[in-house]
Amino acid sequence: MNRFGLAASGNLLGRFKPIEADLLQLAIVQLVELFDAAGEDVVAASSDPVLRRMLPDAYPDDEEATAEFRRFTGNDLLAAKVFNARVVLATLRAALADTPVTPADNSPGAAARRARAPIAAPRETVTLDLDPEAVQSWLRTLNDLRLTLAERLLISSDGALHLDGDEAPFLNELYEWVGMVQESLIYAIDI
Amino acid sequence: MTVTDPLLDVRPDTVLDPPWVTVVWNDPVNLMSYVSYVFRSYFGVTPEEAERLMLQVHHNGKAVVATGNRESMERHVEAMHGYGLWATLAKADS
Repeated sequence: MNRFGLAASGNLLGRFKPIEADLLQLAIVQLVELFDAAGEDVVAASSDPVLRRMLPDAYPDDEEATAEFRRFTGNDLLAAKVFNARVVLATLRAALADTPVTPADNSPGAAARRARAPIAAPRETVTLDLDPEAVQSWLRTLNDLRLTLAERLLISSDGALHLDGDEAPFLNELYEWVGMVQESLIYAIDI
Repeated sequence: MTVTDPLLDVRPDTVLDPPWVTVVWNDPVNLMSYVSYVFRSYFGVTPEEAERLMLQVHHNGKAVVATGNRESMERHVEAMHGYGLWATLAKADS
């Protein structure tokens, strides 16, 4: 199944499992919180490695010019990133709200069966409807998400991962998965 | 219709100013397909040229993606940062 496909309207349709849509939503809420935490003083906030990757040094050999560039562009850039992330959240929430939950099984013996296999009620595929502007927000937000995950995973310039600890495998899996989603989105619009 | 002679449009100060360049650097995170897409959609280059620039970034560690006056290079760098690409600007001769 292709994750993204072109609809007759010219919009892109994206298909996610409910659990994928939930996870993406959670990750992007955290991304927005991270951008919001930067506050107004982007020059001070850029001491944080994640923020610095979002707003890289524009003049590698000139600290003063770099700070000035950041002062002039940083707030707008972050505002745009927050805007894009919110567009992604809005499209995810709209799609999740439109996704019916499979009706509860109330037939005789259902309670006993649920007790034996306590799994959540299955939900249907979540279908996103993305107009061209939303597609742009998706592309950039998925990229921002991967950049922040890469910082948390301590990925070095050779691509190797240096984070130890319990959360490393999950974060790495999420990082790879977001990459696949981004790639399929690029291929879907690459016409 | 107005026909402008491009030569008349060049002001002396822009001629004498040394040009600046926008440089995009390789990083292990951005997807090759994404970088190529950004070059194509932002700079409006052909898919072949976008691919060539992307591969130059990938193999050489960086590529000059635009040349011009400082203000326009700052605009390009800001746009690249908006896409999440690692871009800087510098004088062309440095």
